[in-house]
Amino acid sequence: MKPAYTPRVQRSHVGQYRPRIDGIEKASGKAKYAGDLMVNCRVPGILYAKVLRSPFPHARIRALDVSQAARLPGVVDVLTFEDPDVASLKLTNAGWTDGVDTLSYERMMWRGFRDRRVLGSHARWVGDEVGAVVAAESEEIAEEALRLIKVDWEVLPFVLDAVDAMAPGAPIVHPELADTNILPEDTVGGADVFVDKGDIDQGLTDADVVVNATTTYHNATQNSLDNWNCLVEWDRDHITVWSNSYEAHQTRMHISEMLEVPLNSVRVVSPYVGGQFGRGDTGDQPFFLFTALLAKRTGRPVWFRHSRRDSFHDGRQHVRYEGTIGAKTDGTVTTLSFRSIGNVGAYADHSMFAIKFAPVEATEVAFAHIPNVRFEARGVYTNKMPACMMRGVGNSQLNLILGRLVDGLAEALNLDPLDVASRNFGHQWEELPDQSLAAVLATGAAKISWKEKRHLPGKGPLIDEVKRRGVGFSFHPGWHAEWQELRRGEVHVTMTVNADCSVTLDAPTVETGTGSNTCNVLGCAEALSFLGIGSGDIHWISTVDTDVSPQDCVQTDSSVSFLQSEVMAAASKEVKAKLLERVAPLLDATAPELDIDAGFVYRRDAVGSRRSLRELLHEASLDPVTVAVSRRPLGTRTGIPFIATFAEVEVNTDTGQVLVLRLVVVNDCGTVMYASGAEAQQIGGQCIALGESLTEEIIYDERTGFPLNFNWIDYKIPTMADMPEIDPVLLEVWRGGGEYGACGIGEGTVTCTPRAVLNAIYNAIGVRIDNIPVKPESVLKALGKAF
Amino acid sequence: MAISVTTQEIVVRPPELELLINGQTYRLDTGSSVPATATLASLLREHFGLTGLKIPCDQGACGACTVIMDGKAVLSCMILAVEAQGHEILTIEGLPSDDSVVKAFAEQSEPGYGTALQCGFCTPGFVMTARALLDRVPSPTMSEIREALSGNICRCGCYAGIAQAVRHASENMAKASTS
Repeated sequence: MKPAYTPRVQRSHVGQYRPRIDGIEKASGKAKYAGDLMVNCRVPGILYAKVLRSPFPHARIRALDVSQAARLPGVVDVLTFEDPDVASLKLTNAGWTDGVDTLSYERMMWRGFRDRRVLGSHARWVGDEVGAVVAAESEEIAEEALRLIKVDWEVLPFVLDAVDAMAPGAPIVHPELADTNILPEDTVGGADVFVDKGDIDQGLTDADVVVNATTTYHNATQNSLDNWNCLVEWDRDHITVWSNSYEAHQTRMHISEMLEVPLNSVRVVSPYVGGQFGRGDTGDQPFFLFTALLAKRTGRPVWFRHSRRDSFHDGRQHVRYEGTIGAKTDGTVTTLSFRSIGNVGAYADHSMFAIKFAPVEATEVAFAHIPNVRFEARGVYTNKMPACMMRGVGNSQLNLILGRLVDGLAEALNLDPLDVASRNFGHQWEELPDQSLAAVLATGAAKISWKEKRHLPGKGPLIDEVKRRGVGFSFHPGWHAEWQELRRGEVHVTMTVNADCSVTLDAPTVETGTGSNTCNVLGCAEALSFLGIGSGDIHWISTVDTDVSPQDCVQTDSSVSFLQSEVMAAASKEVKAKLLERVAPLLDATAPELDIDAGFVYRRDAVGSRRSLRELLHEASLDPVTVAVSRRPLGTRTGIPFIATFAEVEVNTDTGQVLVLRLVVVNDCGTVMYASGAEAQQIGGQCIALGESLTEEIIYDERTGFPLNFNWIDYKIPTMADMPEIDPVLLEVWRGGGEYGACGIGEGTVTCTPRAVLNAIYNAIGVRIDNIPVKPESVLKALGKAF
Repeated sequence: MAISVTTQEIVVRPPELELLINGQTYRLDTGSSVPATATLASLLREHFGLTGLKIPCDQGACGACTVIMDGKAVLSCMILAVEAQGHEILTIEGLPSDDSVVKAFAEQSEPGYGTALQCGFCTPGFVMTARALLDRVPSPTMSEIREALSGNICRCGCYAGIAQAVRHASENMAKASTS
């Protein structure tokens, strides 16, 4: 048996190791996802939509002839960019919101980058949805119709590399917006120099040692198994959308604002979703719009879905960071500065969130004690797949350089990098060393046997004549404490106590797998423990339906794990008061004279006998008691907890193969809401994190601009056989506000792993590799064995 | 003079497809119900509503469409529906409600391994692959489990929990057979 975590406060429900509430439903194959509701035998008479995709990285449609396609038997409608329904749509962006809040067109987060035309005529990457969309009786007919569309393409020069795209004379990706590919400064992301604290040059003068480094984070993608889809019905003035979008109310807002129909005319239904990982789907994708228009024109339900290839649609920003750190000989950092160039691909979407917004948050909570800090960044358009949101957005790229600078500085000063980290990093509300950081580092170091296994770079023992082992780590501030979620507005929960004391819980959030549904049920059982019920007595509503559900708490920032439970804890008194008001007349008492414990009602003055609440409710009235509560997250600035990953690797110096032997993933959670779910996030995050470290990368043919591996045979996702032993470690050191004071951890579990692996590789072979993924050829090149 | 000619009557009809799915026999008209290009995966989902299996990749790379054919785990997206003629197909809907593998996947919460599923989209494929493994090898070693399940992708990354669930299912089967 592996060790279980030790809770700081022993609670009846919150913090348990236990199965997920949807375990049986999902393991038996009975759970229904949007695509399962749309199969032919369940929805007869649907039409299938397929959109034309650009075969060129950069091209314009001069003319389109759809006559042959329209004549193909089975084709019901062809909508083109010249149709007024389409041509009149506003310029948009597929990143209206970062998934925290619900935003209108005017208030969309990246309103400075409205660079998308729905079904336009200017293609900016291979795969861009342009020109025409077909609705047909089957997907095969729709595909055949696309082949029959005659397109007169004007093929344009293209650019793939961000640095090339910044050079004078480079092909311009969005000539209608500007005569440069460099994204302009905007009000949300800020100036290009968006953090400038103190004086970094003075910091350099004050430093005894200065370390510079450059790192490159490539462009992985989320790869949720559940390919995007939507089924749209347009019945008179009412639009119904079934979708695996994870943000139902934002999808409704997007459709309402873009098609200019009232919000209450749009109903969005989101059942279970097969994975999210930050994929750029906050409901703002153009495909919702052209599918809806086809449904309107044909009067039939229309289904649009991505194939696996189409699902390579957005991903992480390819970012090149240059960093400088300077310190005194005792390891006190005097200066820290970064310059980055982010390849945002064909559309800006959310990229500036990753490149500017996320580093600002990190600066606030982790670099508070460093006197001189500067960040400068540029986002650059190219003719690659657009980047958007991906689990660990922005922080993953930042960590790759941060962990490199700390490791390099420690080496230059002959110090332990663990000590350099504790000495310098923390949030402004706490003295150094930050207790949370110190705890995650000490725990991880003990688990991986840091002192015993760490040696001078490349100086460890040689194994089997060609293999060398090493250990490394990286750390990062978390970014999902309650005060960081203020932008969400109100969090809504409705608790209904039925006459038999069973509870129906409407804590609306689209279930994407994170485990927040189980957190919510545990939180509800904890809040209503006076009912004498267990978590099995609570029914959690798993489908978000904007016609009946309160606004969904968007499944981002891993913070749904505690936000709704905090609301339930605050609302429990109201539930109790309402129940007592209901039963008080039966006991010849007033509600304040009574209390409930373990499902029994008793007089506070202890006069009289206890009566079963269930019996009393049956006598009083059979109406359920419903309490609907909305509350803004608490804004108390409590700082954040820290994350750390430790890695042990074995590098074969002959073949270049890197084998990760072990990962220790340490998260300070504040409060563990659901232990099995938290561990599943810690372990599960390593599939993406190790994939990004070693194998996952979109490869383009530089000559044609064509992506070569938009499939799971050539794009390599780790399987069970590729994964090392993983130790998930849950801590409760830091504490936020509210009843639980928890912090989301799931997203950040991917953040530190690539750098931990790179530092371990350096420790093993004594040569730095600072670009990921680390493929065997990169190792051999670093060792001078390949060119 | 009348000439009597004996001819054999030739009736051209689209061949019928006979499928044995979850213990029941179905006859389908290959002309209208089953296009020649239909995969077994899409037929099971679209025609029979057996939506436990999923088709994330449609090219045999992820294992989410796994069903058991004649006792062997197969990728139903790589088999044409017409190829399934005469074979015995078992989908996750055909497992008994108390199936030990389903139960072990649902219940895994042993500390240190997380759960065996999160979003659940890949789970039916893993369950069927694991079911076929345990039917063949009731007490697999960890390396046999890893090998058998390495054709399935779980992007939520629950591999540790899944391996543990397969172990538990195997142990529970052994207990059940000795008791």
